[in-house]
Amino acid sequence: MKKTAWWGTFLVILAGALFLRTAALGLRPMHHDEANQALKFGTLLETGEYRYDKNDHHGPSLYYLTLPVARAAGHRLTASLDETVLRLVPALFGAGTLLLFLLLRDGLGRGAALFSGLFTAISPFMVYYARFYIQETILVFFIAGLLASLWRYSRRPSAGWAAAAGFCAGMMYATKETSIIAFAAVAAAFMVASASRGSGRPGPGERGRLRPRARHGLLGLAVALAAAGLLFTSFLRNPGGLWDSLLSFRVYFARGAEAGWHTHPPSYYLELLAFSKFGASAPVWSEALVLLLAAVGSVAAFRKGGEGERSLSLPRIVFVYTIVSFTVYSLIPYKTPWNALPFFLGVILLAGHGAASLAGASPKAGVRVAVLAVLAAGALHLGIQCRRANFVLYADPRNPYVYAQTGTDFLRLVRRVEALAALRPEGRRMLIKVVAGPYDTWPLPWYFRGYTNVGYWPDAPSAGAVGDAPVVVASADQAEAVGDLLGNRYHSEFYGLRPEALLSLYVRNDLWERYLSGKAGT
Amino acid sequence: MMRNKIIVSVVIATFIAATVPGASAQTQDPTKVELKLKLPKPMFIGTPRNIRTPNLEAVTGRPRAPFFVPAGTKLLSAGKPVAASDMAPVIGEVSFVTDGEKSGEDGYFVEFGPGKQWVRIDLKESSALTAILVWHYHSQARVYRDVVVQVSDDKDFVNGVTILYNNDHDNTSGLGIGKDKEYIETNEGRLIDPKGIKARYVRLFSNGNTSNDMNHYVEVEVYGLPGK
Repeated sequence: MKKTAWWGTFLVILAGALFLRTAALGLRPMHHDEANQALKFGTLLETGEYRYDKNDHHGPSLYYLTLPVARAAGHRLTASLDETVLRLVPALFGAGTLLLFLLLRDGLGRGAALFSGLFTAISPFMVYYARFYIQETILVFFIAGLLASLWRYSRRPSAGWAAAAGFCAGMMYATKETSIIAFAAVAAAFMVASASRGSGRPGPGERGRLRPRARHGLLGLAVALAAAGLLFTSFLRNPGGLWDSLLSFRVYFARGAEAGWHTHPPSYYLELLAFSKFGASAPVWSEALVLLLAAVGSVAAFRKGGEGERSLSLPRIVFVYTIVSFTVYSLIPYKTPWNALPFFLGVILLAGHGAASLAGASPKAGVRVAVLAVLAAGALHLGIQCRRANFVLYADPRNPYVYAQTGTDFLRLVRRVEALAALRPEGRRMLIKVVAGPYDTWPLPWYFRGYTNVGYWPDAPSAGAVGDAPVVVASADQAEAVGDLLGNRYHSEFYGLRPEALLSLYVRNDLWERYLSGKAGT
Repeated sequence: MMRNKIIVSVVIATFIAATVPGASAQTQDPTKVELKLKLPKPMFIGTPRNIRTPNLEAVTGRPRAPFFVPAGTKLLSAGKPVAASDMAPVIGEVSFVTDGEKSGEDGYFVEFGPGKQWVRIDLKESSALTAILVWHYHSQARVYRDVVVQVSDDKDFVNGVTILYNNDHDNTSGLGIGKDKEYIETNEGRLIDPKGIKARYVRLFSNGNTSNDMNHYVEVEVYGLPGK
């Protein structure tokens, strides 16, 4: 492929990735976890304050990276924020990952880089969580950055690439505690790839293995510490934050082992990606094309002969990284779909290598065309699933990437409360009482962020007299107790929060009558 | 001149009341100040449980109390013809409504499209109805919206229509405001008391549910005294 054609194709893929990640970002209701993160960021936005919490919320990078985006969009208050501006941050990092593939072109091959970019752009899984206001896509971006920087350094050592690797490592650590899995996997990958190379001399301008010069190593370490240290200490205002980041491992190791209701078998991630079907009416989901091509890419990485025998082989590095991280993630009992993203990055890079190997396997033009046609059909299938996952069944439990997701019915409750508040003289200062355990409370606080008089109690006894509020929201397990307290002075209706989780909305009769009469008048 | 001043004052007062929060309250009683409430904040917590599997347990409430019917009451709806607003359901067959299968698993329910939908059971003869039991979908805790149950001897429900149950409390479906409560689907089904009303046709409406916009029926049972 000619250089201009390659660049044209890459830019089209990049534009597609950006479109799929940024279009209609407000479509899906906020997930429980997103709402948590959003309000945590809201505090930083409004007060400039952030304190790392070693027990929850993961690292600080998500919030600090959101700050410039929110400010550029003109937001100064939590109430003015919206889903789009928040989700734009992971969306941009998700699309930005493709740019990092440019740094891997000489190691993977130009065709492989294009295929990897294409699979990343349209993977339903990658796109779904790039539209999700959590840390994972940002972590994937910096893992790709670390791999790319180390790869560039291995080709031509320089202070710049050492600093870039250090920065990416620091940002990984400041993004999520699970970055240590990636650190171990990347270290193992470069070690194994070094050990597995042949005894020949490296090519011109190449290094046989990754052997950092001492000053470069120190520079990288210093940059990593500076990046992570500044964020964890809230730019030196909370010096204990960095130490807390180390203490957090105790929390997360315990959580990983005692996974509770997030316990899934070791085969969970493989099944999720290879074949999912929930219910007779559900469509079949599969990213098996990427998995199969990754298997081909893995075999191709260890073929005898070629340049890879005497210098570091990037496909081998990626293979070892993928195997190690996949194994570790699969063995940890605690599993959520988004935790598969870091190793899926490796799967996609290997798939790109596999696709390029297949496409170039035969000198016959007819065979190449046939292979490309099959790959195009597979990519089309991925694209169809991507559309379905992100723009049709984005909150539907039949979508395998939907996990403890807030249902669309919940938005009706939000709209109902808005309509009721509009009828009250105090408007959004209307008193709202929420009686629900924390698992059934979120994402209400996000959607009620514009209301100034909202109280949250975990159960009816702690809420006391709830009958002074015109609007009361209760979880299903509290509904009976709250209903007893409110008697027949309130009208009630149910709304779905998530599968098996319902909320009761109680509206004082006078307000309900006003609502009905207003509705009848329209 | 004086009249103009009064008009201007009223306009300004109205503007202030409309634009300044709490202004109207303050002007009503200047001795009072707004009570600033200190309300508890929400607790942060990790990812909630992901539920995708069927659950036959009732979410709330106790087992239904015994329901007494006149001696001679029989199940009238078994195998009787069913018509629907959409005779080409998304999943299943319209006949599932009266086929006697009440399992909550896949393959036993009929799914109709989004929005207001109805099914109509033809009992073949007008009878005194003593009980109606409805199962929309009971493998998940969900609430069906705007559930309305009508009976009539008129196939088109133009004449002699009686509404037995209506929880469309804001008249979304346009069948009138209902006062009955919404309820969570369980394997017990919803029991509706027709109080012996005589009818040949039973029509049931719904308008989506709390999990999605679709409408479902696992089974509808109509009990009564045949031919009476």
